[in-house]
Amino acid sequence: MRRLGDFLLAALAGLCALVSVGILVGLVFVVAQRGAPALSWSFFTEQIRLVGAAGGIFWNLVGTMILLASACLICGPMAIGLALVECVWLRGDRSRRALRTVLYTLNGLPSILFGLFGFIVFVQWLDWGKSWLIGGIVLALGMLPTVSVALIERLKAIPASYVEAAAALGLSRAQIVWAVLLPQAWGGLITGSLLGLARAAGETAPIMFTCTIFAGATWPRGIVESPVLTLPYHIFILAQDSFDPAVGAKLWGAALVLLGLVFFLSLIALPSRLKMHEEANA
Amino acid sequence: MTRAWSWFFSLVAIGTLALLVGIFVWQSLPVWRHEGWGYLTGTKWFFRQQEFGAWPMIYGSIVVSGVALVLAAPFGMGAAIFTAEYLPRAPRLAVKVLIELLAGVPSVVYGLLGILLLRNWIYDLFAPFDPLSGDTLLTAGVLLAVMILPTVVTLGDDALRAVPAAQRRAARALGLTRAETILHVALPQARRGLGAALLLALGRAFGETIAVFLVVGRQDNNLPERLLSLRPLLESGQTLTSKLGGSETNISYGDPLHWAAIVGLGLILLVLTGALTVIGTAFGRRSDA
Amino acid sequence: MLAVRDLAVHANGQPLLRNVSFDVQPGHVFGIIGPSGAGKSTLLRALNRLTDLIPGLRVSGDVRLRGASNYADGTDLNALRARIGMLFQQPVIFPASIGENVLFGAKRLRSLTRVERHEVVERALREAALWDEVRDRLRTSALTLSVGQQQRLCLARALAVEPEVILMDEPTSALDPKSTQAIEDLILRLKAHRTIVLVTHNVAQARRVADWLACICIRDGAGEIVESACCDAVLGNPQCREVIDYLQHAS
Repeated sequence: MRRLGDFLLAALAGLCALVSVGILVGLVFVVAQRGAPALSWSFFTEQIRLVGAAGGIFWNLVGTMILLASACLICGPMAIGLALVECVWLRGDRSRRALRTVLYTLNGLPSILFGLFGFIVFVQWLDWGKSWLIGGIVLALGMLPTVSVALIERLKAIPASYVEAAAALGLSRAQIVWAVLLPQAWGGLITGSLLGLARAAGETAPIMFTCTIFAGATWPRGIVESPVLTLPYHIFILAQDSFDPAVGAKLWGAALVLLGLVFFLSLIALPSRLKMHEEANA
Repeated sequence: MTRAWSWFFSLVAIGTLALLVGIFVWQSLPVWRHEGWGYLTGTKWFFRQQEFGAWPMIYGSIVVSGVALVLAAPFGMGAAIFTAEYLPRAPRLAVKVLIELLAGVPSVVYGLLGILLLRNWIYDLFAPFDPLSGDTLLTAGVLLAVMILPTVVTLGDDALRAVPAAQRRAARALGLTRAETILHVALPQARRGLGAALLLALGRAFGETIAVFLVVGRQDNNLPERLLSLRPLLESGQTLTSKLGGSETNISYGDPLHWAAIVGLGLILLVLTGALTVIGTAFGRRSDA
Repeated sequence: MLAVRDLAVHANGQPLLRNVSFDVQPGHVFGIIGPSGAGKSTLLRALNRLTDLIPGLRVSGDVRLRGASNYADGTDLNALRARIGMLFQQPVIFPASIGENVLFGAKRLRSLTRVERHEVVERALREAALWDEVRDRLRTSALTLSVGQQQRLCLARALAVEPEVILMDEPTSALDPKSTQAIEDLILRLKAHRTIVLVTHNVAQARRVADWLACICIRDGAGEIVESACCDAVLGNPQCREVIDYLQHAS
């Protein structure tokens, strides 16, 4: 009887795991299968024509890259600042925990709220209209918890002996930061940024009101009134009118490219994440 | 200098967040003044008549997230038990990596899959019940269930692994079977972390915008008379996020009351997801008391 | 009672234990001593097949309980582990009440009525010399007990399952002298009804408690039994150099 229970639990749990992994892998497979036919050199290098029925996604890719690059650059200093404040400058457990609570809460906030924020402050109040920079700012805010937490964990993993040795040599706290902490934390910054970018690349809600349009933009000219085309928004708009079969394959192709981009960013972060995992468990 | 810069950038970040919350409160004030608490409980939304009730959307968000959790929890927990208790080290890491990778699938891709696959499937499956279309609360719920599944599995696995191996070893040494050890030693001691996993997954479902937007039907004023029956699931509905993602957000900026009503929805969303996240995180971390 | 024949344990190809053979007589306390890392704990775990739970370990040879092999195909492992109980170095308490801890293994073996439960709990706690201290608070959390009491609780828990053999892996190294004394007294009392295999670092303890001693040392990179004889013989007239060195270091 007890052996039956043993077997049942294992079977049920295994079944759940199979279904879970199966569904998720199946989804990717469907996208790949339907999108693959659309992929070609011209798909990547041409612009959209005929409302997505022809042409390619070149400018969408460019726009997404611009957004990701600016998000990364804006987020970086803030994340480093937050991580250093949490690990080095803040005294007292209560304030540290408060900071970390703020970060975790931020992480759970729906991205559309950041989009609305950007819409109110930048598009309306500052009268910038739709601009790529607003997109960068908004995405940076969304990335902030991911990158900060990755940095904080990396800093915490630095052996206390390094810091002690540096302090024993007479270095001030600021010097310790530059000489010991930051060089070691560099890896955490890159890894965290890659993970944050993977998430940001697929975001549609925050960029809808703030920086992207469906067609007509190429390189942004300046900051004000300079929207860009983006990959997720492109898919979003076309998905709502998806009865035109000519659009179909290209739509799946765009989705496949987006998926590829997100997976790529996640995967290159993987080796260093595994290494940190090993070091943490050693 | 370093210290100053660190604090500067930190305060910029924190200040921006405070500004965000403040803006949502401030910009939504007109509708609170206009409707009072009726804003939360009102069931009608007719912006042309300046009548704003958020309850149908709150209801929609709750229903859709609830369905998602009810569907995802059993499979996710079962999968977590499998990875944490049955898989040896290397396959477990591989599965975890795979699941985390899949957790990164963008919501717009899920939305696309929902439109082109799930929608028709639900419509056909429930044809005996005569639904108006495939864009229903149920569709959104099912789609969300798949989206939060990786979260449940990953966090559930972490919670189970946090139970010390010595406990399992002692139970096995007494002669307990593997299933008994899992059910009576590992699961009870992982209760906190598992609860946190579910809360955080719920929070994620609650805040999801794009995928829900594409398949929920975006039908206002469709609150059913009997809230707890299953039939309303097959109706089109509206959630807080699907409303915010719609066209009203763009067009309402000029009209103070309408705009306030829209921002008010954002404020409600902020408070609810914030609460879920804070409670979920606190719940899971009480163990290091 | 227990017969070990040519037991060998490998971890990922590297041998940990080799050529281990000995017999344990019923009603005896069989002590295993030796330097750290020689494989004493691994040997103990091989006796109740707890080694099955450690990935990468491969066990060859045989262990026989009352003549029946533990390693035969189709052995009911859970029943086996109920017949061979185990006490660990660190007491492992389940987050439950004292009474529930005691019953943890016992109630799975067969369904017990309420009356039977009380009996099992009282009997096990008496045998572990803990009854008088906790009889009024069986429902309180076991985590409130002192370390010494917790270890006795673990013993009671193991006893509740009515094992024939009890394995003890350095059961007193985490305890203060008074608790250590209590456990040693218990061991001497227990051996009337049960057989005990005791791994210990403490040679004095072995001298006080054991009837038979085996000494395990590392030879050619793996643990082997260097000497196995009745306790007085080993300690009074050690045969091999390693034992002598060890005794000199340890005393």
